[in-house]
Amino acid sequence: MSGARVVWMVAKREIKTRMLTKANIISMVVMVVVIAAGAIVGNYFLNRDSAPDISLIAVAQETDALQSSLEATAEARGVELEIMTMTADDATAALDGTNEDAKPLDAFLDGDPAAPRMLVGAGPDAVVQEIVNQAVQSYVTVEQINDLGGDPAAFAHAQADAVPQVKMVGEAQDEAFDDAAFGVAIAMITILFGALIGSGSMIAMGVVEEKTSRVVEILLATIRPSQLLAGKVLGIGVYGLFQVLVLGGSLALAAMSLGMGGLDLSVNIGSALASLIVWFLMGYTIFALLFGGFAALVSRQEDIGSVTTPLLFLLFIPFYTTMFLVPNDPDSTLVRVLSQIPIFAPFMMPVRDAFGALEPWEMPLALAIAAATIPGLVWLAARVYQRGVLHTGGRMKLSEALRSR
Amino acid sequence: MLEIDHLSKSYGTVQALADMTFEVRAGEIFGFVGSNGAGKTTAMRIMLGVLAADAGTVRWNGAELDLESRRLFGYMPEERGLYPKMKVGEQLRFLAELHGMPRTEAAEAVDRWTDRLGVGDRRGDNVEKLSLGNQQRVQLAAALVHNPAVLVLDEPFSGLDPVAVDIMSAVLRERADAGVPVIFSSHQLDLVERLCDRVGIVQAGRMQALGTIDELRTTERPQWLLAVDAETTAVVSALGAVPGVHAAAVPERPGAVLVELTGAALATGGGVEQKLLRIALTLGSLREFAPVRPTLTDLFRDIVSADQAGGADDDRPSRPQSNQAEVAA
Repeated sequence: MSGARVVWMVAKREIKTRMLTKANIISMVVMVVVIAAGAIVGNYFLNRDSAPDISLIAVAQETDALQSSLEATAEARGVELEIMTMTADDATAALDGTNEDAKPLDAFLDGDPAAPRMLVGAGPDAVVQEIVNQAVQSYVTVEQINDLGGDPAAFAHAQADAVPQVKMVGEAQDEAFDDAAFGVAIAMITILFGALIGSGSMIAMGVVEEKTSRVVEILLATIRPSQLLAGKVLGIGVYGLFQVLVLGGSLALAAMSLGMGGLDLSVNIGSALASLIVWFLMGYTIFALLFGGFAALVSRQEDIGSVTTPLLFLLFIPFYTTMFLVPNDPDSTLVRVLSQIPIFAPFMMPVRDAFGALEPWEMPLALAIAAATIPGLVWLAARVYQRGVLHTGGRMKLSEALRSR
Repeated sequence: MLEIDHLSKSYGTVQALADMTFEVRAGEIFGFVGSNGAGKTTAMRIMLGVLAADAGTVRWNGAELDLESRRLFGYMPEERGLYPKMKVGEQLRFLAELHGMPRTEAAEAVDRWTDRLGVGDRRGDNVEKLSLGNQQRVQLAAALVHNPAVLVLDEPFSGLDPVAVDIMSAVLRERADAGVPVIFSSHQLDLVERLCDRVGIVQAGRMQALGTIDELRTTERPQWLLAVDAETTAVVSALGAVPGVHAAAVPERPGAVLVELTGAALATGGGVEQKLLRIALTLGSLREFAPVRPTLTDLFRDIVSADQAGGADDDRPSRPQSNQAEVAA
């Protein structure tokens, strides 16, 4: 039987027992339902908020001349305005609430269009007030121009063109902080960080579960420790990726249904995601091997913490370094050097990519360096795993596991 | 034939195996007996390759074992191990396929063995839901399901009820008759005595006694049990006066005396038993006079106690079968 087939069988078991458990199916369904419910609720509130208010202004017969001016002003301000004609008595009844059947009226205008009387209810609407102010002013302006024998249209045109032409003569300051890139970058490394911690502890628990239940002895009588570890890493990787895709996918769908897809970002989300996935796979391989190897040193679930804590630090350090260092100066020398180091690269590279701070050779080089470290890590992890996995009792020292015999 | 050839293994300063050599022939059930920590489990783990020996090799059909040949082994480790949160049937199929069995064949074998071992109706349950005894049966199924060419079982009978013990014994005999070398360790010595073709008694990492039960029971110093209606001390001194004869009272049986014949007594020819009989008859009426053949338990206890006393206590007659059911283990 070929080694690849053995590895795949172990991986398949991991995937099957993790994916097809009732608990997993239920929790996945619940999460997807929560996301969908969130999208629906969000949709409801967003649409309700964005449904434009219709303001209602009534004018008396003699003030009818203001109507076109009011309409033009409201349209310029993006406010929907309905205008109707009624008598002062009707309007008063509608405004003070005496007539309960009347449509809710925002304001009533009568008298001279150039200086109308404005009746409002208990709480005058500031927007309506401004619209009326402006409409009356422009009405008066047009009247005056007409009286002076001018052309109101030409005047309006000339007024529209009267804007200064701004020209920058000083040296351009530092580019403004890129909010969108920062947001996307933080979201990405947070997802990456969470996914790596999640799958890392899943591996550690899986390894210790096999040790605790002693099933590992039967397995190792049949297959190599390296095959068992590789199958575990592969299986949990596939499962982790599936989870990320299902949850990430439904989040993306939800975001799109909320109209956020139309958000004008200076970041190409598609390429950011691709680079995130590539670096997730790379980071996952590196950390999964470490978690798997180290977890083999202990025999009980409650001892896992003692071996995974150093590894968590190994995750925290690049995570925070990236968060604080990269957004402020994505192409400083320090960042450039650090982002070539395999444990930093998975965090730094996608972020620098999102900021557009990468030289074309940097990403391939970092990938190559990380890929070159993996065989070494496989060797190290398999060695520690092999020595540790059959060791029972207390915690085995790393030096003990690494010693030749 | 499975050959264990000069295996040595130590953990730090503890010598777990010291130059252990024996063989298990095709079609033979080999009983591996020894007190706790004697090295049985270590030897079995080395056979299965989960542990590396410091020196020595294990060969099967003349070739040193590797991963491919070990895949044909059926193994039941001392510490039981199955995935607790995996269904019985699924788990056994996984293990069978891991041993290289094709999928359909694996499914068929899983059904057959779970039915045979009486856990057929639990195939759809997670292992952790089963009682310990049933988990043990599943563990046995795991060792048998891929139709192994060699069986190595570390205490397969512990924790089984009598019915399961019978099923298990029948299965082992059946596999051996099919030409499979079977080796198992056990502290249930009566069972070993009944079931095994050959037995090896291990102490402190060494094979102390090796052979068929009959070979092991033949002793160079025959023992007889005498019961006479007379003062026990008088009987002991009268019989002990014969050259080469050791006599001692049996604490567990008032009135009984155990007699051991050594070199000087045996050299006189077959007449010494008659001489003892005559002496006894002069003391009182004889109730019992019978040869004592050591059971496996006696042999085992001898070897263990001889080792604990540094092997110096050779003159002391060994006790006959005692009432104590528990083996010093």
